[in-house]
Amino acid sequence: MTAPAPPRLPRGRHGLSRADVASSQRERLVEATARVTAERGYEATTVADILTASGVGRESFYEIFSDRRDCVLAAHQTLLDDLIAKVAAAYAGDGDWVERCRATLAVLLEWFAADPDAGRFLLVEVAAVGPEFHSRFEAGFDRFVAIIDSGLPADLPDPGPLPTTNLAVGAAISRVYVEVAAGRSEDLPRLLPQLTYEVLVPFLGEDAAREAAFAAL
Amino acid sequence: MVDCCAEKTYAETTIADLVSRASVSRTTFYKLFSDKRDCFDAAVTRCIERLAATLAQAADGCDSPAEATRRATVAGLELLAAEPALALVLSGDVVGVDPRRVDRYGELAIPAVEALWVRAGEQPRKHSSPGLAFGRAQLLVFHEVAAGRADHLPELVPDIVYLATAPFAGHEEGLRQARLAAESTADAAGPGRAPEAAVGATAAGVSS
Repeated sequence: MTAPAPPRLPRGRHGLSRADVASSQRERLVEATARVTAERGYEATTVADILTASGVGRESFYEIFSDRRDCVLAAHQTLLDDLIAKVAAAYAGDGDWVERCRATLAVLLEWFAADPDAGRFLLVEVAAVGPEFHSRFEAGFDRFVAIIDSGLPADLPDPGPLPTTNLAVGAAISRVYVEVAAGRSEDLPRLLPQLTYEVLVPFLGEDAAREAAFAAL
Repeated sequence: MVDCCAEKTYAETTIADLVSRASVSRTTFYKLFSDKRDCFDAAVTRCIERLAATLAQAADGCDSPAEATRRATVAGLELLAAEPALALVLSGDVVGVDPRRVDRYGELAIPAVEALWVRAGEQPRKHSSPGLAFGRAQLLVFHEVAAGRADHLPELVPDIVYLATAPFAGHEEGLRQARLAAESTADAAGPGRAPEAAVGATAAGVSS
């Protein structure tokens, strides 16, 4: 996972409140769910697998989640929120717009490279939960579009009928998806210049995008 | 199979549903297919063939590869909008059954578009990655279909036309074709594009 697994609580008396215990257990379950599901696939993953991997008891599990699907969706939300927070922070950073785009893509690629299991879970395996995944995916996609739209410079060329931000986010996500699904998550950061170019083309056209994307090399 | 998937998804479709819908006996089913997945694979292949035939027909007799790409794109989206069951099988259920299958769409579509340019004696220039553009286009279409808005697919015409032409013809030409496509679909739909027409198409697609 992107964060190291939260430590298990000491056995016996530890002076923590019930809420603290539940929160720690929830974190461990979420972490274990993403890891186990990415390894085995959604269909093959059982609640028992999640319990073994997390060290949380069955009773505690059902106090927090109604079933495996509920837990999987919670894990998906947690990971997505983490990714979106990091992407938003990078986009709000220093530099001109092109530099911020490059920094944002770098963070995106590194997030997936740092934890291939989490990325695989987020993009590929959760699809098995069915239609609910699509609405979640779409909502996540729209959050990325809103972040990018919030920081667009006023002097971009008129894109005509094109929803440029949508295309740019789509370019980034579809490239990441292909690499993650093919098991090449670790190599993602190497695609930064090419992907920067691809993302900028709909905004700037080829020449300006090429200059902007490869200038720093 | 296509109708059953559209009604209740692949996962929930049973062999009993299939044989009752198709009015064939279970024995006949197992003579033709080894199992439900085998039947689904055959259904997907047929859906792809239908879509490919529609695209090829629309591209036929056009003046330029860019125009052929544009017309094929428009025809493809209109087919999927008119037959949401087809769109559901090709996007939603294929992903659910085996996410890697969708990679094959690009392997089929990209060389076909490239061939349009080669046939016209123009070398496709690869201004940007066709694979990536196709991935984006696919994502856009899948979103609409998964959200139950297959009848809105024609609204994506400018985006998809741009994605299909820009990798080979460049951003400016892609933009020009996107504008042309936006105008032609607006003309075809007429002023105040009637929502009833889209609903009618949906109903026709499901019952066929």
